[in-house]
Amino acid sequence: MPLVRVSGVSKSFGAVRALDAASFEIDEGVTGLLGSNGAGKTTSLKLFMGLLEPDAGSIEVLGRDTRGSVEYRMRIGYSPEHECLPPGASAAEFLAYMAELSGLPRAAARLRASDLLRHVGLFEERYRPMGTYSTGMKQRVKLAQALVHDPVLAFLDEPTAGLDPLGRRDMLELIRRVGRDFGISIVISTHLMGDVERTCDAVVVLGAGKVLRAGAVAGLTEETESVLVDVVAGADALARGLTARGMEVQVDGNRLTLPRVSSDDYDVLRDAIVETGVLLYRLAPERHSLAAVFDAPPAETELEAS
Amino acid sequence: MNASGRAEIFDLGYQRYEGERTGRWRRRRAIWRDGVRISLGLGRGAGAKVAPWVLIAFSLAPAAVLIVLAAFLGSVATNPDDFDLPSYAEYYEFAIIPLALFAAVIAPLLVCPDRRSGVLSLYAARPITPADYVASRWTAFLTVALALAWIPEAALFAWNLLDARNTGAWVSDNWDVVPRFLLAGAVIAVFLTTLTLFVASFTSRRAYAAIGTFAVLFVGGAVGGIARNNFDGTLADVLSQADLLQALVNTQRWIFGAQLDEHSVPGPVSALWLAALTVVLAAWLLRRTDRMVRG
Repeated sequence: MPLVRVSGVSKSFGAVRALDAASFEIDEGVTGLLGSNGAGKTTSLKLFMGLLEPDAGSIEVLGRDTRGSVEYRMRIGYSPEHECLPPGASAAEFLAYMAELSGLPRAAARLRASDLLRHVGLFEERYRPMGTYSTGMKQRVKLAQALVHDPVLAFLDEPTAGLDPLGRRDMLELIRRVGRDFGISIVISTHLMGDVERTCDAVVVLGAGKVLRAGAVAGLTEETESVLVDVVAGADALARGLTARGMEVQVDGNRLTLPRVSSDDYDVLRDAIVETGVLLYRLAPERHSLAAVFDAPPAETELEAS
Repeated sequence: MNASGRAEIFDLGYQRYEGERTGRWRRRRAIWRDGVRISLGLGRGAGAKVAPWVLIAFSLAPAAVLIVLAAFLGSVATNPDDFDLPSYAEYYEFAIIPLALFAAVIAPLLVCPDRRSGVLSLYAARPITPADYVASRWTAFLTVALALAWIPEAALFAWNLLDARNTGAWVSDNWDVVPRFLLAGAVIAVFLTTLTLFVASFTSRRAYAAIGTFAVLFVGGAVGGIARNNFDGTLADVLSQADLLQALVNTQRWIFGAQLDEHSVPGPVSALWLAALTVVLAAWLLRRTDRMVRG
């Protein structure tokens, strides 16, 4: 059973259509909800948490319709993009309170708060007022509060916002560890394709309220039939040699792209390289990138399949 | 440490929580407890304790001073009637000001910081509704306000009881004072709690919320006072209701069966006006909180 099932959901705010007959499912693991600003990511998260009701369609989270009781939220976590930590409170006190609000008894809430702060690397700092924390520490507290009540599924809205490259790498690794080692499924809402490629098992790409793509990240970045040839110099000479042998070539600086390459074409390529004497730097099949997936409109059949 | 003197630390990794999950009332109680702690500055730094405890002292001091005076003068006076404690209704009349001050300054602490620091979005993701949140905060502040309203009256009652020559007869004659001061105190606490939280729901800054409450009480008081003391007729009576503190005074005088000011509207009218206003403000507060929490 999928953790989240979105069936034909539309949601409008006045004349703005935030989601337009969107249908997708989210399974266990780490899933990216990818889209630019205004794509419908935040609206989707609010719908998942039952804070908004869809104009049409239905949403099930953990098998429950989100329009019903709020009790299913005991098993979900949420970390917003914006600031959400009271500056005067300590992380230990705040997490224990959040755990209590999610249905943990007081003693268990305190224990879990300390435990989670240890997992996110803030155990030593847990009694300090959160107003004195760095941006990276605050992002880790936000993650910890989303996990403190041991949810089945946690929604993280832009978890790397405001972090430097090192902090971003650490946060993505932490999220990956939560998904892999803690057994908690994660949905990351982000506009950063790199975050999705580095962290997620699956991705749902949203654009202007529509689902552009949905599926496993590995499937969306699989190899294409094209081959990339990077040379140190002499790209034009090699291109001429290949064209003379009847191959289609696109040249971009020192990079040649050979579309629709068959297994026999590799022999032709080898001969052309030897004949022209160019110094080969790299030869590899081209892969789809999420950027290309994000930009290209999906085929109807692909959407139906997703 | 084992027998060989070597110690080992085991990292048990992430532990799933398999224990009990509490019900909705326990979650509401957690918000209520947090609200009471905020109102009293408990678990916060020394700076956060100053305002509540100064105002609490300001609210309780009149009763304490009066009882100390009664004890001192009672022991030296030849005539026992030389010094009388104020009546229960009279005490509430001047206790309303420090109570209103306490409510205006402290009640915003329960909601404004949640809004300002963005914590409301985390409440939204928890298994509670916006109504659970605001009702628990309301109840938390009401608890503290009720204590501040009732404790001095209970102290006056206890003093009078101890001072009575015939305790049994005194209780028989005065038992009805207890439900009256409980009801009058509840009216004051419920109204001030609702009004101050309602005003606080319009801003994320505590100072603005406090100023807003003072403006409602004192500007309304000025308008109502001018209408009551300078004009007659229905319109003047209606305008005089803008003086909310006077409406509270009228209501509690009526509850105690005390004489009303000659310019005042009848006690039941003030009570009905306050009840209606409280219901409207509470419904509006609920609606505003729902919209704020859902973002």
